[in-house]
Amino acid sequence: MAEGRVEGISKVTGSGKYAAEYKVDNVCYGVIVGSTIPAGEIEAYHLDDAKEVAGVLDIITHLNRPSIPAFENEESIKKSGFSLPVLHTDKVFFKGQPIALVIAETLEDATYAASLVTATYKQSSFNVDFDTTHPSIPLAGTGKERGTMDAWSNAAFVADAEYNIKHEVHNPMEMHATIATWVSKDKLKLWDKNQGVNNVQGTLSRLWKMPAANIEVISEFVGGGFGAGLLVWPHVLMTVMAAQQVKRPVKVVLTRPQMFTLVGYRPQAWQKVKIGADKDGNFLGILHQSKHSKSVYDNYREGITRISRMLYKIPNAKTEEATVSLNLSAPTWMRGPGDCSGAFGLECAIDELSYQLKKDPVQLRLQNLATEIDPDTQKPWSTNFLNECVEKGAANIEWAKYRKAQPASVKEGDWMIGYGMACGMWFAGRSKASAGIKMQKDGTISVETAMTDIGTGTGTGMQNIAHDNLGIPKNKIKVNLGNSNLPAAPSQGGSTGLSTMSGAVVAACNEFRKKIAELASVVDEAYKHVNPADIVFTKNGVALQTQGNRPVSYENIFAKNNLEIIDVQATSGPGEERQKYAFCSGAAHFVRVKVHAKTGKVKVDKIVSVVDAGYVVNDKAAANQISGAAVGGLGMALTEEQLVDHKLGCVVGNDLAGYHFPVNADAPIIDVSFIGKPDVNINPAGAKGLGEVGIIGMAPAVANAIYNATGKRLRNLPITPDKVLMA
Amino acid sequence: MRPFTFQRIQSLDQASARKANDGHQCIAGGTNLLDLMKKNITVPEVLLDITKALPDQIETTAKGIRIGAMVRNSAAANHDLIRSKFPLVSKALLAGASPQIRNMASIGGNLLQRTRCPYFYDTTLPCNKRNPGTGCGAIDGENRMSAIVGYSTECVAVHPSDLCIALAALDANVIIRTTDKKETIIPFKDFHRLPGETPEQDNNLPVSGIITAVDIPSNQFFKNAAYVKLRDRESYAFALISVAAALELNGNKIVQARLASGGVAHKPWRWYEAEAFLKGKNATLETFQKAAAIVVKETKPLSNNAFKVPMLKGAVEVALQNCLNA
Repeated sequence: MAEGRVEGISKVTGSGKYAAEYKVDNVCYGVIVGSTIPAGEIEAYHLDDAKEVAGVLDIITHLNRPSIPAFENEESIKKSGFSLPVLHTDKVFFKGQPIALVIAETLEDATYAASLVTATYKQSSFNVDFDTTHPSIPLAGTGKERGTMDAWSNAAFVADAEYNIKHEVHNPMEMHATIATWVSKDKLKLWDKNQGVNNVQGTLSRLWKMPAANIEVISEFVGGGFGAGLLVWPHVLMTVMAAQQVKRPVKVVLTRPQMFTLVGYRPQAWQKVKIGADKDGNFLGILHQSKHSKSVYDNYREGITRISRMLYKIPNAKTEEATVSLNLSAPTWMRGPGDCSGAFGLECAIDELSYQLKKDPVQLRLQNLATEIDPDTQKPWSTNFLNECVEKGAANIEWAKYRKAQPASVKEGDWMIGYGMACGMWFAGRSKASAGIKMQKDGTISVETAMTDIGTGTGTGMQNIAHDNLGIPKNKIKVNLGNSNLPAAPSQGGSTGLSTMSGAVVAACNEFRKKIAELASVVDEAYKHVNPADIVFTKNGVALQTQGNRPVSYENIFAKNNLEIIDVQATSGPGEERQKYAFCSGAAHFVRVKVHAKTGKVKVDKIVSVVDAGYVVNDKAAANQISGAAVGGLGMALTEEQLVDHKLGCVVGNDLAGYHFPVNADAPIIDVSFIGKPDVNINPAGAKGLGEVGIIGMAPAVANAIYNATGKRLRNLPITPDKVLMA
Repeated sequence: MRPFTFQRIQSLDQASARKANDGHQCIAGGTNLLDLMKKNITVPEVLLDITKALPDQIETTAKGIRIGAMVRNSAAANHDLIRSKFPLVSKALLAGASPQIRNMASIGGNLLQRTRCPYFYDTTLPCNKRNPGTGCGAIDGENRMSAIVGYSTECVAVHPSDLCIALAALDANVIIRTTDKKETIIPFKDFHRLPGETPEQDNNLPVSGIITAVDIPSNQFFKNAAYVKLRDRESYAFALISVAAALELNGNKIVQARLASGGVAHKPWRWYEAEAFLKGKNATLETFQKAAAIVVKETKPLSNNAFKVPMLKGAVEVALQNCLNA
């Protein structure tokens, strides 16, 4: 087992600082006021009472805010790609939309004053009801259709059903927060909770029409993201505007209720899956249709049906999608976006088919998995060991021994016991990124990148990769992350972080070896002609693995080159392997559930997840990701649902008591294992991302187990006890 | 949060004298009050910290046990005497909140916590309890968590406490000190109110009244008591349905039974008719099923909580069965 995380001590001792925790001289505090209607126009603000509160410095609204250059007019707003021109419009699209920011000397003053701000509106009609609206929204083809629907119209077995998933909210523990300060008239500095400092920097640079180099963004520690930190949200722009207005640093921390409407959510979704098989269980065709909610002002779209084109050998496949515009805030990517929802429809439908076929769902999947060729692109998978995941998972939970083919056949008192499984898949991406290595005179190094580590273990992985490459002990390798001044990197999202960084860190290591050879050659000419890969790093200096050792001390290298620090940077990204191969991570999830016959209570008491994500750089951090994703999957399956009041036009229960993500007591010990075979084509480490794939397929595994336990097919998430009882 | 004055109170007399003043509000554990203050639902001008003035001991009395109002929920739950002679109280306490909250929350405060109805908690929504006359948002809205018995057209909120369900079942008494230095005793069943036309009033505590203790009479229920709580997750969630059940048995014969529920009404709800039915019967599954059927006869669910009826029926059966294996 690998040792702990590079940032572990800082996190548990509190020395690691999250965005809101930085002490900034002369800082003042902003509190957001949200609209109290779901649709309409602001006619007037009533600010007098708020202004009388001691300590209030200013209240900015769309009437008096400093203007954002890119929001100059309708045309430029459209071009900005920013769907909600916050404080640059009198229009209200959802309840809770920021309409003012109260700025005061203390958080308490600002909070109190914000409670006194009101507005008069011209109200418009609104709609927040997904279920009654979506039937009238037409579907449109998406993705590459293959074969025809006629080709399987005589399929011996067909499963055809509709599935629904409620609106879910990310709710990372750390609330989103921004401290903004104009260091000079044209220089901006931000401490901001996000999943990509260069993305924030680039976005602000476009909006304020100022050079990116003039904007520094720091996000060194991030208390969870799950996708909520991938975009620049309105509160960030409001903080920057406020700092401009009062000419002081301003801090804005979202409240927990604001976390439900101002930083995205997983949209509510409807799906219909029709899948056919021949009498032997070979899949013949699939029609997967889906619609999901979105905001009236935003065009967010996630590919819910994509997974049906990738996972199995299905000769005829058609996918159709649509979005449904509502007066709610904009949704965004949430862990396993699209595929996580789609897998619920697909993997439940296959389970339904397995009972029709009287075929073990494990066997049915093994028979149909597309492990050689990606059916969607027709490219060979670089590697795909999903079949091994399924086999290993079945063995680990002792599927063959305990799972009964007949539903509702195992009882312990009032408890009904059942087993279920499902697969997940996520594209294994890689982006271009840069990394740097700096060596100090004492031989310690730091590996650096702008990428954030949102809790995934990216920093630890980078340390591991540098250690593997250079042989320098881990306690002499520091990691610096999450600052836009560091070598550029994309956002941490879509399970691409480590895959991307591994390339960059290996490239930086190679660059560093070259640089060391060059610098050492000033001391010992033999280094002029060495293969840099031949250099070994020892306690006091470098030496050569072959060619007779020839040690050169760090002291000499620094002294003879007259250096204070050795500093290299390198950039690396995907190449032509992307033309040759398709890349994926895969997972098989198995669960055992107990369902109480009299009360509807569901208890998941065993989870086995087996993941194929190439080489595992750090088994501890990787298993951690999968366990966390499994708990997220339990939430999706059993507890998480954002209530929406259709009459009042808003979300209700917007706090952690009202929104039920799972607690530790809801999760059993999660048995995680990895296939661990490197994918030599994807990046130098052979490692693929695994943040998403752990949640994709978990919810259908639970639903399938509930069916096996009870004989009740529950197709609407979350499966709360009331649904079990009333089915 | 609005600015307020904070006063440390040294005696009960001082506490009840000041509490009657406008804008004065007592604080003990503060686990609910601080939430309410942060949301501007309760906006005191003066906070009276009564933690030093309230009794914080658990004592045996001639008739039973007295739990001081300042005893922390976790201390009561883990107290030997309560665990051995009043286990229903311990079980109910441990089913509530989280360890951190139980470590802060006081027994007196537990009785006074306010509903967790989401319409009450969001000040931008209508709620007669928070803002009389604005209407009840839940009655036609998201009322999955709301009442199925005893509600009115003005309010369908439920009382959130687990402890109170056990106290109602055990016929506890609420001991109250008022300004005239007199001790008032309110039987538990009369302490909390139904919403009627005044849902803003949760209970019958006099304006100057301070809860000083809760008395629980000695009983023979300690061998056969159970608390069943059904909720949307395993911890840190309010009850969809909860049932406190207690049996006094002579062999297999039920001498006396107690049944109370949370998650069903504006106040802890006793099922007297089912209790009467159980008396004198044999403690069998069949008897329990009949008692559960009597319980649900009284209920009248709202638009989104019909499930509470079968869930309540199941929970009553399970709780009574659990009494036999307690």
